[in-house]
Amino acid sequence: MDELLQEFISETQESLEALAGEVVAWEADPSDRERLDAIFRFFHTVKGSCGFLHLPRFERLSHAAEDVLSDIRSGERCPDAATVNAVLSIMDRIAQLTHAVAVGTPLAQEDDEHLVAALAVQEVECVPLDVPGQPDAPATAHRQRSAQAAPRTIRLPLALIDQLMNGVSDMVLARNELARQLRDRAGDPALEGAFERLSNCVADMRDAISRTRMQRIDRLFAAIPRTVRDLGRELGKQIALTLEGGDVEMDREMVEMAVDPLIHIVRNSIDHGIETPERRRALGKPETGQLRLEARQSGNQIVIEISDDGAGIDTARLVEKAIAAGCLTPQAAARMSEAERIDLIFQPGLSTAHAVTAVSGRGVGMDVVRANIERIGGAIGLDNRPGRGLRITLRLPLTLTIIPGLVLRAGGLHFAIPRAAVVEILHDNNEMFRIGAVGGAKIVTIRNVRHSMIDLEDVLGLDIPAQSGPRTIMVVRSASGLPFALGVSAVENHEELVIRPASPIVTASGIYAGMTLPDNGKPMLLLDAAGLARNASLPEIAENPIEAKAEDKADAKNDVEMIAALRFEELSGERRLLQLSLIERVEELETHLFGQSGDHAFVRLSDRLVPVINGRHGFAREAVSALRLRDGVRDAYYAVAVVLDIVQMPIVPDMITMQGNLSGVSVVDGEHLEVVNPFALFASLPEEPLGHSRPGRCVLADAQDGWAREILAPLLRHAGHDVLIGLPDGEALDPRDIVLCTTSDAMQAADILGCRAVQLRAAQQPSGPQDASIYRYDQPALMAAIAGAG
Amino acid sequence: MKQLHLFATLAGTRVAIAAEEVEAVVRLIDISPVPGLGGHVAGLSALRSRVLTVIDVAALIYGAPTPADKRGLAIIAAIGGHSYALMVDEVSDICRAPGGALPLRGQLDPVWKPYARALVEHAELPWLLVSPSAFLESGIVGQAA
Repeated sequence: MDELLQEFISETQESLEALAGEVVAWEADPSDRERLDAIFRFFHTVKGSCGFLHLPRFERLSHAAEDVLSDIRSGERCPDAATVNAVLSIMDRIAQLTHAVAVGTPLAQEDDEHLVAALAVQEVECVPLDVPGQPDAPATAHRQRSAQAAPRTIRLPLALIDQLMNGVSDMVLARNELARQLRDRAGDPALEGAFERLSNCVADMRDAISRTRMQRIDRLFAAIPRTVRDLGRELGKQIALTLEGGDVEMDREMVEMAVDPLIHIVRNSIDHGIETPERRRALGKPETGQLRLEARQSGNQIVIEISDDGAGIDTARLVEKAIAAGCLTPQAAARMSEAERIDLIFQPGLSTAHAVTAVSGRGVGMDVVRANIERIGGAIGLDNRPGRGLRITLRLPLTLTIIPGLVLRAGGLHFAIPRAAVVEILHDNNEMFRIGAVGGAKIVTIRNVRHSMIDLEDVLGLDIPAQSGPRTIMVVRSASGLPFALGVSAVENHEELVIRPASPIVTASGIYAGMTLPDNGKPMLLLDAAGLARNASLPEIAENPIEAKAEDKADAKNDVEMIAALRFEELSGERRLLQLSLIERVEELETHLFGQSGDHAFVRLSDRLVPVINGRHGFAREAVSALRLRDGVRDAYYAVAVVLDIVQMPIVPDMITMQGNLSGVSVVDGEHLEVVNPFALFASLPEEPLGHSRPGRCVLADAQDGWAREILAPLLRHAGHDVLIGLPDGEALDPRDIVLCTTSDAMQAADILGCRAVQLRAAQQPSGPQDASIYRYDQPALMAAIAGAG
Repeated sequence: MKQLHLFATLAGTRVAIAAEEVEAVVRLIDISPVPGLGGHVAGLSALRSRVLTVIDVAALIYGAPTPADKRGLAIIAAIGGHSYALMVDEVSDICRAPGGALPLRGQLDPVWKPYARALVEHAELPWLLVSPSAFLESGIVGQAA
């Protein structure tokens, strides 16, 4: 009996989850017979099961709902708003009761009577629905299809899956141990082969088991239609909801963690974003607001976009509020960029809502949403189009369980930290920053921005061990977005870490986000960046980032931004600089590969010609160093005598003299060096990649013709054309080839070959008006005819 | 009440734990410390691929951590989806307590009050009936305060 009850509870809960969206869709389109049937089936099933399990309250509720739905099915009644509301409240009550049964609390002693009574109320006279069983509206069609294509599934207890997962993890550990042992012994190929096979099986199995943790994002979306409907009602707004990408899969735990932030964003969007129908009409928008949720997988991330066509964020108002709340000075506000203004939405305690409504604006704001998203390793982005809408993009990692992390050492122990939380890593002997201490507080100034600094050992109550080398300072960004510096002994490694949840007693400290078990079998804790800052009670006020940035800019003018450059010696002996980022690599090329075509030099690499920027002089040796440059699309070589070293040069040359391929002169280490202008380099290249623009060969059709061979061929060769005497045997002609012939049958042959042909005649005058041939000593006309074909 | 009980000495006190609440008894070999928490969390230890949170019950009750050389046996219990190892001094027996749970008698040391639910008679001695989850709940509460 207990098992049956359990089964009933979990089935009912699942159906309820899935149905919440269906009821809303049915309300929107009452002629949708399939949805109505689905809902009817649900109540029917509940009624059947609970009669059997002796749950009279369930039975009464579901029976009443079933009756009404049955009337609607037969067309005796139409699904008006009141009916749908009543059906929804019955579903809610069933959900409450199910929950009560599941956790074993006494059933809420509320009166179900009024719910049942509400069902009986009928607002509108029934108009029989035309065409029942009509095909679905296109907007919702994809959901139907995916439901039909659902593969066969079975229900498994989570505990069993976790057990499998643990078993596989054990297997992986055992395999690693075995691998270590095998490495120590002399190699036996047969044994190693067998081990390799086993190893692959284990890896495959681990992948398969990890997939059991995946869940369709549909589940994340399940609660949305109901929220949208209820809120829309409450606020008198009309909203058309589109859900897309429900079949994208993500980690089960991740789905659970993402539900709250997502619901919050949707509520915000309806409450603050989408305007009332009257206002929308006044603004010239359609009365019904559009709300769109779209999920897709992109690499190892799930991207969820929530976009509406509402008012967007009023940044001016946001700034006003921030100033009123004292988090911003008007001077700083004036200097803020639009992006920085929008970012204010993530400041705690700010909201653009004019009044605190029941829906949102209760102080739980976007700061909490962002913190929650970042806690699970995600990121949130805003695309604000004032007056036209807002698009919020959530990027979530595919799974909670594997994250790229840094392994660091502090106080003689090892810890892990998510890589995403680390902005930069410096050694404390670096001259780029200085550490100051006052009244026990440590402040580190990096590029003129002061950060709070804490030593991890101090936070954790450990001793700082003496060490020979420099300590490492990590700039860590906490969820509140305020970076701080964290001093540790060293950062040791970068690994993909399999993260497991830590027990509550460990996470209660707020310092740790989880734990991981590396191959050495010693558990390691994952640090929570935000928690560390909180634990150390670091001040959370940004030191006016705007001013700091302005200072930064001013500084940039004083001490000049530097970029890396390659110092090299030209073939002609001058020493010059070239921006390093353009150089793909340095190659040694043999001199005989270099060639020229017209004005342009090129180098022949296995299958193609690559332009050479300065290759138009002879090379006195067998091989030449060449810099391979790339502007993102095209490659080119720059031949040099010798590559000297990599230096820092100012991004703008000290003296600007735009001339040829040079942009100016910079002084590096006391030496005046000419700076090569990359723009000019690429601009000087031939327009089309070499090879494609070369004229085709000139084919002399009559191999026996002495004139063609002795007089025409040399002329064409001198003009830079490749010449082929006689039509090639069995080799197709390139369409770019030009056939030159002296007789009209050769002309027809050329036509058949499908390339351009030029007919030459011996007589000075054409034989008639149809004659398109060229007099054989009319060099300009001949050359024009050949070039015209190129 | 004829269920099996595990009889052990915990922080120098005889306790009985219902066998169904105990998953296993293991010898802890390697404990990785968890700095920044109270002394009652001795650290983490790996049991095959599972990670156990090791609770130093003596530290929790008397506030004095067990010295490293005295750490040995631990009772494994799964509570709220997580695995914990409760450090015990020694485990004496697993058997049925014919008398079942008896009401508490006598003036109990206040530090034991949150944990002791009842008395169990075994080998003609009284044992305090405790539940592993009680140590954890109070551990978290103690930390929050």
